[in-house]
Amino acid sequence: MGDRKEARGTRDDEFQSFVIGRWPRLMRTAFLLTGEQHAAEDLVQSTLEQVFVAWRKVGSADDPEAYVRRVMINAHARKHRRRLKEFLAPKDDSGLVREIADTGDRIAQAEDRNALLKALAQLPPRQREAVVLRYWEDLTETQTAQAMGCSVGAVKSNAAKGIAKLRAIPGLAETVTQGGPK
Amino acid sequence: MSADRETNHTMTDRDIAFLLADAADEVEIGIAPYQAVIRGGRRRRARRWALATAAALVITGASGTLALASLRDTGGAEVTPAVSQKPPRPSTPEERHVYVPQETMLGTGTDKGKDWYVTVEVWGAPRTKAEAQAQLTAMAIRGDEPWDKDNASALIGKVTYFVQRSYGSGDPKFLMGDSASPQDTMAGTDLKSAAFTPDPKKSGGHQRLVVGHVAKTAQTVQCTWKDGTSTEAHRVASGADVNSDEATIRPVAGSPDNWFVCVGPEGASFDSVKVTK
Repeated sequence: MGDRKEARGTRDDEFQSFVIGRWPRLMRTAFLLTGEQHAAEDLVQSTLEQVFVAWRKVGSADDPEAYVRRVMINAHARKHRRRLKEFLAPKDDSGLVREIADTGDRIAQAEDRNALLKALAQLPPRQREAVVLRYWEDLTETQTAQAMGCSVGAVKSNAAKGIAKLRAIPGLAETVTQGGPK
Repeated sequence: MSADRETNHTMTDRDIAFLLADAADEVEIGIAPYQAVIRGGRRRRARRWALATAAALVITGASGTLALASLRDTGGAEVTPAVSQKPPRPSTPEERHVYVPQETMLGTGTDKGKDWYVTVEVWGAPRTKAEAQAQLTAMAIRGDEPWDKDNASALIGKVTYFVQRSYGSGDPKFLMGDSASPQDTMAGTDLKSAAFTPDPKKSGGHQRLVVGHVAKTAQTVQCTWKDGTSTEAHRVASGADVNSDEATIRPVAGSPDNWFVCVGPEGASFDSVKVTK
């Protein structure tokens, strides 16, 4: 009985470390997926709640990160299937994309960021997920397919379409020809 | 970057990766809400289905929000498959949608300025214990919990469905679900349904949203409201548009039955429902 209690205590500690350690990264990914601070917080919290329920299994898995990604992508996809509007387009009053009146470079960078977020917002959810997982999470196509619950072919197709649309952003194309953001 | 490992990416891709990283840094990280996660996780763990088993003749609602209709009200002695032409039998669990459910939107509408949606997820029948165990894991990842979530074997040979309602910006809430043999199809005027309020927080209010399933052959379902008026749901083809506040009967991917949604006008309250044609 005591052993069981001890094991549970250890599991709780592990989960707490996991939550605290992964929170920043998960928040960034969720922000790119949802485009809005509060929606990102909701998505990550909801994801971690589901992970908590299955923590005994997840915590001892070889790759708990993969499980968490899968849960998050599912939660995001599910929300989209409901056709609820996300607030991806940066809002003037939200501070989501703050233009910094500092140097010309920084203004240009903020504009790029703004343009990128807007373009990301306009991608269909599966394309957005594929782009975020491949180019922000830096996952392989196979890992992305596992996270999205689809085939590698579907990942390739969604990522290629998504990235082609992002490339078409006029301001961004200019930045790219100059060697990317500073 | 691994993104560069598998395909020939141009500089543009790399730069987009930089821009994504830059954009991701815009989010305010804050402190991880560990206690809130634990509370939410415990709530999820405690959540249980309100489930109707195939053997039960009525649906009983744990929350008291379910209004009931009859199941097999014709006596249900004979069950004839509604579809005589069977498609080729899919072999792999992926083809049978054992690990990823098929999802169909049944209805949508607006209630007090907020959008609501009703969807049904249908999980294919696992054939082995290993498939059933993997299905349970996949369900857990999606936040779906079958009735007997600790007994994978109970899922073998059964199609499992989850009906959920989303309201406003809230998370989808479970409405009804079941695991049943795909051979156990509805026939004639068989009908299984439940009535709800569109707003889950007003479960004691007017139940003007009726969701259920009927035989593939059913053409019209009539929902009668307590004020004596009624709404008819007519059968539409697979893939037909889901229009706001529209009552329809439609095929659902993976389900042996057709499903319907009746939406009453504001203020209407469910009284009865039946297959009329």
